[in-house]
Amino acid sequence: MPILDDKVMQEVKKALEKMQKPVTLELFSQSFECGYCKETHQLLEELSAANPLLSMKLHQFESDADAVKQFGIDKIPAIAVIGEKDYGIRFYGIPAGYEFSSLLSAILLVSTGIYKLTTETKAFLDNLKKPVHLQIFVTPTCPYCPPAVMLAHQMAFYSEKVKADMVEISEFPHLAQKYSVQGVPRTTINEKWFVEGAAPEAMLIAKIKESL
Amino acid sequence: MLDFNLNLSATADPSELYDVIIIGGGPAGLTAGLYAARYKLKTLMMEKEMVPGGQLIATQWVENYPGFPEPVLGQKLAKDMEEQAKLFGLEIMREDVESVQLSGEIKEVKTPYNTWKAKTILIATGSSPRKLGLADEAKYAGNGVSYCATCDGPFYPDKVVAVVGGGNSAFEEALFIAKYARKLYLIHRSDSFTADSILQERVKAEPKIELIPNTVVESLAFAENPRHLMIKNIVSNKESKLTVDGIFIFIGSIPNTGLFDGQLELENGYIKSYPDNATSIEGVWVAGDVQEKKLRQVATAVGDGANAAHAINSYLLHRQA
Repeated sequence: MPILDDKVMQEVKKALEKMQKPVTLELFSQSFECGYCKETHQLLEELSAANPLLSMKLHQFESDADAVKQFGIDKIPAIAVIGEKDYGIRFYGIPAGYEFSSLLSAILLVSTGIYKLTTETKAFLDNLKKPVHLQIFVTPTCPYCPPAVMLAHQMAFYSEKVKADMVEISEFPHLAQKYSVQGVPRTTINEKWFVEGAAPEAMLIAKIKESL
Repeated sequence: MLDFNLNLSATADPSELYDVIIIGGGPAGLTAGLYAARYKLKTLMMEKEMVPGGQLIATQWVENYPGFPEPVLGQKLAKDMEEQAKLFGLEIMREDVESVQLSGEIKEVKTPYNTWKAKTILIATGSSPRKLGLADEAKYAGNGVSYCATCDGPFYPDKVVAVVGGGNSAFEEALFIAKYARKLYLIHRSDSFTADSILQERVKAEPKIELIPNTVVESLAFAENPRHLMIKNIVSNKESKLTVDGIFIFIGSIPNTGLFDGQLELENGYIKSYPDNATSIEGVWVAGDVQEKKLRQVATAVGDGANAAHAINSYLLHRQA
């Protein structure tokens, strides 16, 4: 039985019509001790059948050490959204629920190159000297989370210095402990700095500045 | 069972002149959007959130909106309203409005990315949760302080939480959080509650919930271990410590009128409405929670939205003639 019902699949096909350049979803999975690997795999299989420009490639997390290193993967299931190059856009945990929109947005972002960032943000990112790692902790049922994920992914797309991960926190309880996540979305900047809620673009930039 | 929601922003054209721009995508805005699109008006909705629906999105169950004998999920109702409006051609832009220019024949709506133009504007910006106003309240928002039970309730499995408020939202959301929490204190500054009696009965029947009436929260001591609140009984003036893992605040809402400061007539802090949901400025209408009125419910918001869209359609027809 398909994981995406007919209605959603029609919406997906329509949305993906906007694709321009090919996109590969690099999936990291394993057959044991992984809550949603199987479902994530099936999801990507169905998605990659929805448009000829979209494909998926499966890597085994426990055995495919080169790919794991190349894409910097540290937990599974993981998806790296790769276009002409690797922009540092990652999804850890299944992008289900509201996060499905974040995945589709990331695919379209990488494929069309169309992003929405303010002049101020671009100016800041142009002058960024140090690397910035954004982790957005989300749950699939959080309707306020995708904007935070999409903003971070757009910054990663725009700047080589920025990497951005969606982290579906209910699949990684040890990270919820480590980063004391009690609400979502929660954005961490370079492991140490936190922004609660879906911060507007200017606020996130201000916080990144503060962290550097 | 996994579900997959697709909510991608429209890709509307900023050089267009729209018949109407609706600011806010709650039940009022979505209903107006449905009607306006069905009147074949060139309609654009500006919604700052990814998912339209306004406060419906943060509401677990709706059981007093007619047509649903079984309680309906707030998020489901919002999604259905959105889909219905989109069927008729409503375009929803995910952009946060920064400023508006309401006077004159052509109105302008500025976002960080574009300036949108329209012949008419419908304000449906709704309201936002009221804060308690405690020191550190903002600091712990999302990390012990919450205004959204459906968002954050599941983070308190087997935990002890406080819920502040005495109205329908506080009681409804307390019942939802009680599904997760081990113990829930419902704190209210008076001993009479404005929540509907049916909710009061349910809360009283829930063994996990303990009512603490006539009490206010004085401070959050969330930096200490264990986390606790300082509360004060306002009848006896006695202060005490209440150990909790988190606090949920449902003490009403404040209208989102900031964008219109100095441009529109207000009444009691809300936007003053005239017959047919008109405002003090020609070509500008208002609907939903942001409007001055007695009852703020989904049922009244959809009525406002339909009325306003109808009035806008008549106005545009008249202007063309």
